Amino acid sequence: MKLKALIPVTMVVAAMFALATSVSAQTIKIGLNIPLTGDIPKVGEGSKFAAEMWLSDVNGAGGLEAGKKKHKVELVIEDNESKAESAVKAATKLITEDEVLVIVGPQSSKQAVPAGGVSQDRATPMISPWSTNPNTTKDRPYVFRAPFLDPFQGPVLANFITNEFKFTKAAVLYDQASDYPKGLAEFFKGAWEKLHGKGSVVAYESFTTKDTDFSSQLTNIRNSGAQVLFTPQYYNEVALIVQQSRQLGLKSPIVGSDSWGSAETVELCGKDCHGAFFSSHYAAAGATGATKAFIDRYNKTHGYVPDDVAALTWDSLRIVATAINATGGLTGDIKKDRANVAKAMAGIKKFAGITGNMTFTPEGDPIKCAVIVRISDKGQFEFYKSVCP
Amino acid sequence: MELRGTIRGFSRVPLLGWLVAAFVAVLLEIAVGTPLALSLGLPKIPVLFGVILALKKPLLFPGAAVYVLLIYALPIALIARLGAGLANRAAGRLLAFPLLVSVAVHLGVFYITLELWSGLSDYRDLVLRFTLIAVMVTLSLNVINGYMGEFSCSHPGFMAVGAYVASVLTIDLFTNHRVFGSALLPAALGPLTFPLILIIGGLVSAMSALVVAIPSFRTRGDYLAIISLAFMFIVKSLIENLDIVGGARGLGGQPDWAGLPTVFLWTVVCVWVINNFVRSTLGKALNAVRDNEMAATAMTVDTRYTKMVGFLFAAFWAGVAGGLFAHVLRYVNPGTFGIQKLAEVLAMVYFGGLNSVYGSIVGAVGISLLGEALRPLEIFKWIIIPLLLILVMIYRPTGLVAFKEFDPEAILKPKTDPERERDALPQG
Repeated sequence: MKLKALIPVTMVVAAMFALATSVSAQTIKIGLNIPLTGDIPKVGEGSKFAAEMWLSDVNGAGGLEAGKKKHKVELVIEDNESKAESAVKAATKLITEDEVLVIVGPQSSKQAVPAGGVSQDRATPMISPWSTNPNTTKDRPYVFRAPFLDPFQGPVLANFITNEFKFTKAAVLYDQASDYPKGLAEFFKGAWEKLHGKGSVVAYESFTTKDTDFSSQLTNIRNSGAQVLFTPQYYNEVALIVQQSRQLGLKSPIVGSDSWGSAETVELCGKDCHGAFFSSHYAAAGATGATKAFIDRYNKTHGYVPDDVAALTWDSLRIVATAINATGGLTGDIKKDRANVAKAMAGIKKFAGITGNMTFTPEGDPIKCAVIVRISDKGQFEFYKSVCP
Repeated sequence: MELRGTIRGFSRVPLLGWLVAAFVAVLLEIAVGTPLALSLGLPKIPVLFGVILALKKPLLFPGAAVYVLLIYALPIALIARLGAGLANRAAGRLLAFPLLVSVAVHLGVFYITLELWSGLSDYRDLVLRFTLIAVMVTLSLNVINGYMGEFSCSHPGFMAVGAYVASVLTIDLFTNHRVFGSALLPAALGPLTFPLILIIGGLVSAMSALVVAIPSFRTRGDYLAIISLAFMFIVKSLIENLDIVGGARGLGGQPDWAGLPTVFLWTVVCVWVINNFVRSTLGKALNAVRDNEMAATAMTVDTRYTKMVGFLFAAFWAGVAGGLFAHVLRYVNPGTFGIQKLAEVLAMVYFGGLNSVYGSIVGAVGISLLGEALRPLEIFKWIIIPLLLILVMIYRPTGLVAFKEFDPEAILKPKTDPERERDALPQG
């Protein structure tokens, strides 16, 4: 009796083995190290959706071309919980366990900096779609990034304000406790003072993450006689800062940075944000060509306009594909292939991405244009101007 | 009846037997792991007992299960059971020497097993090192929250102090850094001075604990919880505003000195020292203060001094663990040592069990491995783990293995007849 009952079980198990082993051997594995849980799950979600869209494109076309062969692509998605140690574990797992060819991510610098170290030590190419901290790629030939850097963005904004409005006195309000706003505020201040002399940043005010009342800082700014307010903050803070400054009677234009580029900015901020400017990687409203195609497709499947992080993830994956293609064929030896891909990626020139054309510097940072976006009276992100290095 | 007999058979296996069995299983994995995994249709050796693999690709579950059965479960059970007699005799003979010899032999076998097991995969190695550090942090917090019965929230702060002090020292002394300048000492000295640097980190952390201890131990009540929570935020803001250590941007480039042997050794020292501390007169005084401070004073316990010593002692070990953490991660930023870390450590303490070294080990290892193994579930992981915690809180309010003494001699001694042994055990 017992033996008879075992027969179907054995058959099912055997069938499962057969299915499992029949998966073809020559697939390209690409690791995705993204924050699906934790502080910024929306960022992880955008990256995941963009990656899945890319994957269905590639596999729909029969695979990724390297040399003369087409390879099926498999995405290995790891959640890094938006924590540094978890990102390091995820990167190690992707490299040693899943044996991926390339890693895309992590997105925030606090994870990309340590994870980049792991990738460099294990000689695996990694590209961060979103990290702007110089240390992510510094002295790491295997680590690349897709966004422009803050030392570029700061001067771009300073020049834009100077040329557009002919202002000479600026105020800055930033989060002292957060890596990105702090860095950008410093770069902006440096660039502005270079243009207009020392003391031309008449108010340099700061606050701490999760503060919600900015009235004392904004009063100082109002009394300082600044002609423009620069605040490189995230969407939730932008809404509060802009609304409170209008309530306090601050009439000067407000300018932001690429962190404003989220659909939530206008939703939370409402009319007060209309007419504000910020620098970004791409402008959703009025986009043309491939960028528009990407936005429309994303909007159709997921029901909202993609943030810049999704667009940058899309570009990163296409950079990876270009690099794999440029290697001229995979050897099958993962170590050699990783080195080849890293070399090919460093040699990419004039890559046409949906966030602009890119060429990599020897540090692994792209040279690309920034877009100045104006928030229109309908609350859409309108292309205003393109600023190139 | 049959089952009970089998279980009784296993309860006669001493720790040495289990360790040797695990060692053999790991040898087996090294020898035939890869071919077996491939023939079962698995892409590689399952890294954490096949759980990750099975969750990610349910189709591979039977293969992973068979693998774990063939490599771990069956060999370990078989060797432990059949070798029980031999292991008991060996364990008995070891105890004839000073206890230290027996401890060293057990730890040696344990370490070699871990080293070989983690040698198969860098990922295992990393997870193991973070887990061992979690054991240190949990145990040190248990000294305050369990043995002393106060509620402290400052452990991430102590870790941060230790991590930054140790990082600044190693980076300043042994590496070329753009802020701190070129290396002051030759790199060869590095690994030798590393323990000293960790101890300095721990001591600075203990000194910083005075800031919390002096005002909050004047009184009784919930003050410690509030002051220590404030302390955690103060440390975080302080580091965020110190540009010399990178501010919010963090500090990277620590030398790679915290390998598995180093972390293992520190964990062993930490467990040993804390265990001796809580079993000493001072440790018993801590318990007395917790149970009834008035009575403790009446029994000539200097309560304030006792609490201070316990608190600083715990802060010291949190600092050492922080230093190790920074050198395993090789990057620190203030954001890591926030409320999330606090929740993690507290969960480990209360999951494992208060007032118990066993409990801290169980809690830290359990939560760490669970967090790693359930990784593929993404958001559901954060439903399952808290749910487990709630269940533990309902059915065992003080934790899984609370109020249990960790007596090395009792653990290492041969197990003869479980029935007789149970009768001989003191109740409670």
